[in-house]
Amino acid sequence: MELNINYIINSLGSLLPEVAVTLALVLIVIVDLIMGKNKSLLPYISIAGILVAGYFVIDQFGMNGFALAVDGGKGMIVVDSFGAFFKTIIVFTSIVVVLFSLSSKEIIENSDRHGEYYTLIFGMILGMFFMVSATDFILLYLAIELLSLSSYVLAGFAKNTMRNAEASLKYIIYGGVSSGIMLFGISIIFGITGSTNLYEINSLMQAPQFQGLVGLLAGILIFVGIGFKISAAPFHFWTPDVYEGAPITITAYLSIASKAAGFALLIRFIKITFIDSINLQGYWTLVNVIDWQSFLILISILTMTLGNFAALWQNNLKRMLAYSSIAHAGYLLLGLAVLSNQGIIAILIYFAVYAFMNLGAFFIVMLIANKIGSEDMDDYDGLGFTSPLIGVSLTIFLVSLTGLPPTAGFIGKLYIFFALVDANMIVVALIALANSVVSLYYYIRVVKHMYLTRPNSQTVAVVPNIANTVLLMVLLLPIVILGLYFSPLVELAKTSVALFGF
Amino acid sequence: MQIPIEYYLILSAFMFIMGIVGVLTRRNAIIVFMSIELMLNSANLTFVAFASYMGNTIGQLFVFFVMAVAAAEAAIGLAIILALFRNKMTLNIDEVNILKW
Amino acid sequence: MEHFPVLSLITFLPLLGMLIIMFIPKTQELLIKYLTLAITGIQLVVSLFILAAFNYAKGGVFDANSFQFIEKFRWIDVSGFSWIGQIKIDYFLGIDGISAPLVFLTALITFIATLASWNIPKSIKGYFAMFLLLDTGMVGVFVALDFFLFYIFWEIMLLPMYFLIGIWGGPRKEYAAIKFFIYTLLGSVLILLAIIGLYFSTQETLANGSKVFTFNMLEMMNFASYTETGILSPLNPANLRLYAFLALFIGFAIKIPMFPFHTWLPDAHVEAPTAISVILAGVLLKMGTYGILRVCYPMFPEITVQLAWYIGLFGMINIIYGALCAMAQKDFKKLIAYSSISHMGYVMLGMASLNTLGISGAVFQMFNHGTITAMLFIIVGVIYDRAHTRGVDDFGGLANQMPIYTGFTTLAFFAAIGLPGLSGFISESFVFLGGFGSENIRVITIISTLGILLGAGYMLWTMQRIYLGKLNEKWSKLPDLTAREYLMLLPLSVVIIFLGVYPSAMLNLMNSSVNSMVKFLADAQVIFKSVGGL
Repeated sequence: MELNINYIINSLGSLLPEVAVTLALVLIVIVDLIMGKNKSLLPYISIAGILVAGYFVIDQFGMNGFALAVDGGKGMIVVDSFGAFFKTIIVFTSIVVVLFSLSSKEIIENSDRHGEYYTLIFGMILGMFFMVSATDFILLYLAIELLSLSSYVLAGFAKNTMRNAEASLKYIIYGGVSSGIMLFGISIIFGITGSTNLYEINSLMQAPQFQGLVGLLAGILIFVGIGFKISAAPFHFWTPDVYEGAPITITAYLSIASKAAGFALLIRFIKITFIDSINLQGYWTLVNVIDWQSFLILISILTMTLGNFAALWQNNLKRMLAYSSIAHAGYLLLGLAVLSNQGIIAILIYFAVYAFMNLGAFFIVMLIANKIGSEDMDDYDGLGFTSPLIGVSLTIFLVSLTGLPPTAGFIGKLYIFFALVDANMIVVALIALANSVVSLYYYIRVVKHMYLTRPNSQTVAVVPNIANTVLLMVLLLPIVILGLYFSPLVELAKTSVALFGF
Repeated sequence: MQIPIEYYLILSAFMFIMGIVGVLTRRNAIIVFMSIELMLNSANLTFVAFASYMGNTIGQLFVFFVMAVAAAEAAIGLAIILALFRNKMTLNIDEVNILKW
Repeated sequence: MEHFPVLSLITFLPLLGMLIIMFIPKTQELLIKYLTLAITGIQLVVSLFILAAFNYAKGGVFDANSFQFIEKFRWIDVSGFSWIGQIKIDYFLGIDGISAPLVFLTALITFIATLASWNIPKSIKGYFAMFLLLDTGMVGVFVALDFFLFYIFWEIMLLPMYFLIGIWGGPRKEYAAIKFFIYTLLGSVLILLAIIGLYFSTQETLANGSKVFTFNMLEMMNFASYTETGILSPLNPANLRLYAFLALFIGFAIKIPMFPFHTWLPDAHVEAPTAISVILAGVLLKMGTYGILRVCYPMFPEITVQLAWYIGLFGMINIIYGALCAMAQKDFKKLIAYSSISHMGYVMLGMASLNTLGISGAVFQMFNHGTITAMLFIIVGVIYDRAHTRGVDDFGGLANQMPIYTGFTTLAFFAAIGLPGLSGFISESFVFLGGFGSENIRVITIISTLGILLGAGYMLWTMQRIYLGKLNEKWSKLPDLTAREYLMLLPLSVVIIFLGVYPSAMLNLMNSSVNSMVKFLADAQVIFKSVGGL
């Protein structure tokens, strides 16, 4: 077999974001080596690198095609608007997280290792970019591992604190096991189809002699690996520990970017591998191998219920937000469980909104932790009176996470329920709605501590500096504006819904 | 005489289950990592067996990547264990319990 | 839009006020108070102007052309294929004879509640900001004709109310606030589910002839707008209209509050500051009954008729149960709270009659209950401000000590009992006449008249315990009403007496709307029979 180098060179045009990220990664390593003890340049190089990658990502909207395709065959990577949408979310989150890092006390205290910090963040970005667009199990596995290995280290970045090291260890054990299970699933799929390409596997599965039972086993084993990344129950056990233990910038990053990549991967995996046809209303018919609908509904109800009820008892804000992010994964999974393009639109909208509100909530928790050194809810008593900006903003973020109008969180939930009601899944919608009532209780508890308790002499005032205020507004204003005027977001999601090939 | 594919598959399934059981029951962090390696290797064995059975090179190709990843994972895992050991002076994962509920 | 957007003005003026208040330094307390007073005052004047310019002949209810002060333009417009993210939402406001009295009531009560808030002890700025946000939500609910918009206004009220009870409330404020929030949110998610179901069942026809799903409430009342397959469409044999009706009904019933969803109300009232109790009883409770009249009745006419007996039954339970509970209370404020439950029962009973008399009585009773109960809560507030206790048995003989106060109290109590010559009498007798005129709920109506007896019982008994008899020496220093309290009680008394002697002022306002509602319900039965929906 002759390797045709032209294919690879041609493909580079469609891989510009990934190339930019890789070059930025290398640049950071080199600058870190040259500059020695002076690390102050690194964050700015990172932001510049991400912005360049972001420029190329935005360019990818509307593209449609394979990259790295071998002669006449199916490629390892697809470039499409769907991927571009998720990459945009990842790029946005990355920029915000780097900006968080500039003022995070935990990160600043370990300034001698900033080189590794930003390098590994770029490792994560690269892994997530490939996860979003991979259509071949080999690349898919490598991308997941690239993301995981980088995040294992980052979760334990402030290694001198006990809880960091613990978070890191728990993360790598759970992560290692789930990727092992997933790999075993991939090996079974490879065994029955002889291919690792999702498109080829799909066409083989539609053949009548296909072994359904083995396919079921393999599909579920692979779901374990992806379910771990999106922290779906019952593979969520790592989430609260890691989110609480990791530095807060990384927690925010894991809760949004890494989850977004996981969801993009899951959607692509299920849609491309198992699809049979799409009807005019946008509903998918899947190959009769796994009853994905019932399976996903079960998992999502389990996920949101577990997440919401466990969150009720939490006193640590980071841990509470960890459980809340599990619950949100449950709502998002419902969008997929509908198995329709409506549902995918809902997921895209929800994710865009979720990025803003969750980043905002973590940002404020970080600002407060920088000042008082605690994420405990009891230490928030009366904070709303001493620090009005922080209090009002956190209230809006939490209200949005609950999903009350007129915030953007409501729009996200609304579209999920649109999809559910349109698919006649009324009972599921009812369960999800009941869950959001439960979630109100723990979100409003934070508000209660901030506002319903009067400040005492120990209550400090948290006043963000100008830069942080601007960043806060960047996260806060879209929540309010998108809540009242969401047409642009829906338009964007609508154009991004189509996956390559379908 | 060629060994039938089932034998390989049974062996790899056995290795996989051993790995899972090891992770669930052993308390020493290093042994837990060894069990994870066992799981990865069972998948490797499946890949190689299928690849040779079907005369297909993709499986063997995959194995090389998996081996590289496994090495990286082991390196990071040991580094994390080392960091933890410096803080806590234990390898027992049951004693790693600051974060719960 | 050829006329001045007067409904937007009264809806968003408070929101504007809230934004201004946010930029006033918090030391300028007096400025904040006067600004709020000015804004609610303007709102009251504008609402009076609306009443003056209101065309009594136009029916409204289901017919877009006979709504008044309509403002309508596209707010969200995402086009596409029918399945892929297409959505059109209107900014659609308008009032008819059912909402007009309530808009006026809201403006009146808010203005008086601003006066009642004058002595709020802490965080003046936050208080009035939340107060004005609440005001926007309340007016918005009464004027919105697009269901999406309606829901947003409906939900906007929750958070300010949570803070107003939670920060400025009594000793158990945290419990009361979260209970209120959880209960009402539970109700509103049920409403949301029904809204989405209705959205996917109705289509409006655009100018170019294409059909799109719609949130327009009037389209949802129009039989011709329903799709063949929508889950809430009467044309679909397997429709879920009964469940949707129940979801909406329970959602609204929590707000009324209807037995057995009423338990949040006494807690919220007891803990809330006086002004918030006034708003809660005066306006917020009306949203439940207004929602049923505006949404459940015209959108589900066939189910309304089927279940009217149950609505009446729950109305009766509310009347009797509320009155019995009120009788057992030792806390003056809790007593009034339970009497509120009892009086809201009359509204439900009137609605259940499904005839012009009964529904007019119900709408009138909503208005009257708003004014009378607001007055009662102010009366409780007056005494609590002075004595710092609300125990009914702690007082006695206040009539000699505070004669003017007792005069107002007597008026309010008699109005609540339904003494002829006062507004409560007219609405209650309309309700009973209507209920008696409907064969369906005649027995229920007869039993409900017991409520009048019980009402007179607990009201007079309370009167006796607090105002008559021997003066408790502890209270011999209590001063009579201040000028501010005068200002709160006097307008309400005037309204109560005026509508008692000249009820036509209000009845004419709602007459044609109530008639079209009754006619619409009757006509709908014929249509539904023809498609086998009954």
